[in-house]
Amino acid sequence: MAMLSFEGKYRVRGGTLVGGDLFDFWWGPFYVGFFGVTTVFFSLLGTLLILYGAVLSHTFNIWRINIAPPDIGYGLAFAPIKEGGLWQAITICAVGAFCSWALRQVEISRKLGMGYHVPFAFSVAIFAYVTLEVFRPLLMGAWGYGFPYGILSHLDWVSNTGYQYLHFHYNPAHMLAVTFFFTTTLALSLHGSLVLSAANPKPGESMKTAEHENTFFRDIIGYSIGTLGIHRLGLFLALSAGFWSAVCIIISGPFWTGGWPAWWGWWLNLPIWR
Amino acid sequence: MSDPIKSGILYGTALVGIAAGTLFGVTTLLGMNRPPIVSVQRGFRGTGMDQLYTPATLAALQVQARVPRSLPPASPAGVKAAVAYKNVQVLRNLSVGQFTRLMVSITTWVAPKQGCSYCHNVANMAWDGLYTKVVARRMIQMTQNINGNWQSHVQNVGVTCYTCHGGNPVPKNIWFNNPGPESATGIAETQTGMAHPTAVLNESSLPYDPFTPFLEHAVSIREQGTTALPSGNTASIKETEWTYALMIHFSQSLGVNCTYCHNTRAFGDWSQSSPARVNAWYGIRMVRDINNAYLDSLQGVFPVYRKGQLGDSPKVNCATCHQGIYKPLYGVSMLKTFPELAKPYVEEAKVEAPVPAVTPVPGVAPSPTEKPLPVVPDNTTPHDSTPH
Amino acid sequence: MAQYQNIFTRVQVRGPIYAGTPMEARSAFSRTTTPGFSHLFGRLGDAQVGPIYLGMSGIASLICGFIAFEIIGLNMWASVNWDPVQFVRQLPWLALEPPAPAYGLHIPPLAQGGWWIMAGFFLTASILLWWTRVYLRARALGLGSHTAWAFAAAIWLYLVLGFIRPLLMGSWAEAVPFGIFPHLDWTAAFSLRYGNLFYNPFHMLSIVFLYGSTLLFAMHGATILATSRYGAERELEQIADRGTAFERGGLFWRWTMGFCATAESIHRWAWWFAVLCPLTGGIGILLSGTAVDNWFIWGQHHGLVPVYPPSWGKVLDPSTLPGAPR
Repeated sequence: MAMLSFEGKYRVRGGTLVGGDLFDFWWGPFYVGFFGVTTVFFSLLGTLLILYGAVLSHTFNIWRINIAPPDIGYGLAFAPIKEGGLWQAITICAVGAFCSWALRQVEISRKLGMGYHVPFAFSVAIFAYVTLEVFRPLLMGAWGYGFPYGILSHLDWVSNTGYQYLHFHYNPAHMLAVTFFFTTTLALSLHGSLVLSAANPKPGESMKTAEHENTFFRDIIGYSIGTLGIHRLGLFLALSAGFWSAVCIIISGPFWTGGWPAWWGWWLNLPIWR
Repeated sequence: MSDPIKSGILYGTALVGIAAGTLFGVTTLLGMNRPPIVSVQRGFRGTGMDQLYTPATLAALQVQARVPRSLPPASPAGVKAAVAYKNVQVLRNLSVGQFTRLMVSITTWVAPKQGCSYCHNVANMAWDGLYTKVVARRMIQMTQNINGNWQSHVQNVGVTCYTCHGGNPVPKNIWFNNPGPESATGIAETQTGMAHPTAVLNESSLPYDPFTPFLEHAVSIREQGTTALPSGNTASIKETEWTYALMIHFSQSLGVNCTYCHNTRAFGDWSQSSPARVNAWYGIRMVRDINNAYLDSLQGVFPVYRKGQLGDSPKVNCATCHQGIYKPLYGVSMLKTFPELAKPYVEEAKVEAPVPAVTPVPGVAPSPTEKPLPVVPDNTTPHDSTPH
Repeated sequence: MAQYQNIFTRVQVRGPIYAGTPMEARSAFSRTTTPGFSHLFGRLGDAQVGPIYLGMSGIASLICGFIAFEIIGLNMWASVNWDPVQFVRQLPWLALEPPAPAYGLHIPPLAQGGWWIMAGFFLTASILLWWTRVYLRARALGLGSHTAWAFAAAIWLYLVLGFIRPLLMGSWAEAVPFGIFPHLDWTAAFSLRYGNLFYNPFHMLSIVFLYGSTLLFAMHGATILATSRYGAERELEQIADRGTAFERGGLFWRWTMGFCATAESIHRWAWWFAVLCPLTGGIGILLSGTAVDNWFIWGQHHGLVPVYPPSWGKVLDPSTLPGAPR
């Protein structure tokens, strides 16, 4: 594949964490590296296992494919391949692929002289995934608490797992996570539209500047966070959404087995107004 | 520039440490539990249909559900109570021995501290002047009615006075028509029937009295559409909130969650529900019968201090019997040793009928593989519920 | 990781206050003249706070918003009998509820939902006036109207929830109550009533765009910060004349996933993802009850539903059996 006009001068050796120069090459637009090889290994194997799972569940309807974790009774042991073992193998592949991907991002960051913000951000997503599929099952004592792999089946799991706590919206960490998701989307729309509105001004006008951006936001809400700050804020909001999502599910079960509405009893029973 | 892997591990470990510390602190402060937990899987693996408990909760319920020892059975032979005593209206065909045994048992079940005089004038045991005696008589009829006519709900386990009373003159979990908390009068919108913390509804802000419409009156509980496209179901979101409130009460009363009866992906779909939902359906009808035919009928008998704000009788809901356990007293049948409570008294019934065999619950096909919930913390064996 | 990651501003430089680009000639209002600096804000972004432009629509919007806020708050306070302590204690549980279903689309007495209609009217007026303000300020400053149209997408969802769908259903009772926990109760009940919103394809899309927006902002924010040493935050300059910051940022994604955006196109991705979240969500809400009554059964008709092996014997609805109690 052809390179971008400016790409050649950036394609230099070095920056690898593992493997020295051995895997320091590109395949089309993709950088390979040692972790590219492990990514391909894990994701290919995982995908094949998912296809095998589809065969086992007698459906290739993309919405219906379901690869479920083992019964709770297996605890933290390995289960037979057709009774949840497949799910366990796919989970191992997924964690392997995600971590490989993050480490590959580290290598690419080093190669391009960038900070490590992207792999760090991706690590938060991995953290949320691992919380759901590994940490929480570990704390609860069985792999069977993980969510199944399937588009609608994982939603069925979300539904039932939510109703295990009668009304999941009362989970305080879930409240925070949802708030962060909404706020991130709001902030993204504001940032995206601000840049676009300055780059694509009113017909007949010339392109605007960051001064116009600042003025617009100060006029509207009295404060403009600025071109650098909005990216800090956006990253913070997005990572907070992922982080609190992980918290909201790790406390459900290991640290709270009743209905979430009753959790607010501590507030109702504060000594100041009891 | 230091090694990013090394510092990554360092920062990562620090983050996990801080997170774990915070979690520990917050959970302690807010009275939350900590692993391990006890659970029972009730659906296909990976569907998330699990009941969750802490060992401490189960241990406490075990203590609460201890059943008093029954007195040895008395001989049915001899003079009948109706002949020996005056004013015996319900337990007429018991022998004096059986009658006395039951009276003594009721005292330990209902008024262990107050003794016989809680209901009787000890100088004239036949006197109906104490309201408690009149109520007790009606309650005995109610118990017989439950055991005789509501096997669809209580099955052959049945109930006795102890099931609800548990040694208390007034059962711990009763309810009254609820006019709501004190609010301002005038033009403000204050009487919406919802939006206050409600203990019997898990402290949610859902409608605070779902009992009056659903467990005293027979307002329809079903709100979900039964067809993909609109076909005349006009149930509103507000009505759905009332049903949701009732269902939260069910869960809380039985110490289970929504997935005990439902696959929540399709709440209304019976073919995806557990047999427990059928049992609950009969339970709703049973509770309505109890509240209408027995408790509301005593409205004129109860003294004011036993009645609610609106002057109504105390009434029962699921919590009255269940008290946080999926089967009252963990399914121990006290009725087996008190067959005289097994069915309504009929004048002609001279023969001591045995406890009727359990009639199969309609709506549940034979051979359900439903597994019981844990009675003791270690009752969670592998392969709990999933047939392959 | 000792090297500079630029996640907060270490050294704050205080320049003169920037008053903003010149005001348009024919404006009846001017900007307030007392801007200041906040050290805390300066840690994350610009330290300058203010000036603000009020304007006619801005003032009207604030007044309407204040009226709505007061109506909601005072009704909540009345519901705890004007007890200030209970007001604070129960605040998250309290609500101003829409009228009962029996009122349909009629205007009920104040205490029966009339206050809810009034609060909804003023809140809607406040929001629409604010939209006008956003549009007019963008035009006054010579900017494109992208922010206003993104805001309009959110207003679409708001209007569907509180106005358009209740109108189509013929009942104000269908609308969302004002209140923290009560609006969550409403949300849960909505999904229960219409047979599981997870099977609503527009709800699926909305969630995809919600998560997608979060993913995009994490990717974009992280990329800009990671290349901020090359001046990546000067995005408009990078749009007009691409420099090494965006070359590196772009190549990062090209090498990672085989594809990259440009300084301008990443903001188009962002705009569309963020806008499509409420847009698709609003469609999903609007179709519930009007076009589809049970999303799960709808899913069964369209082959969406996974099949699980049965865990019990066949369970039948007891009310359909002969001789069943009522």
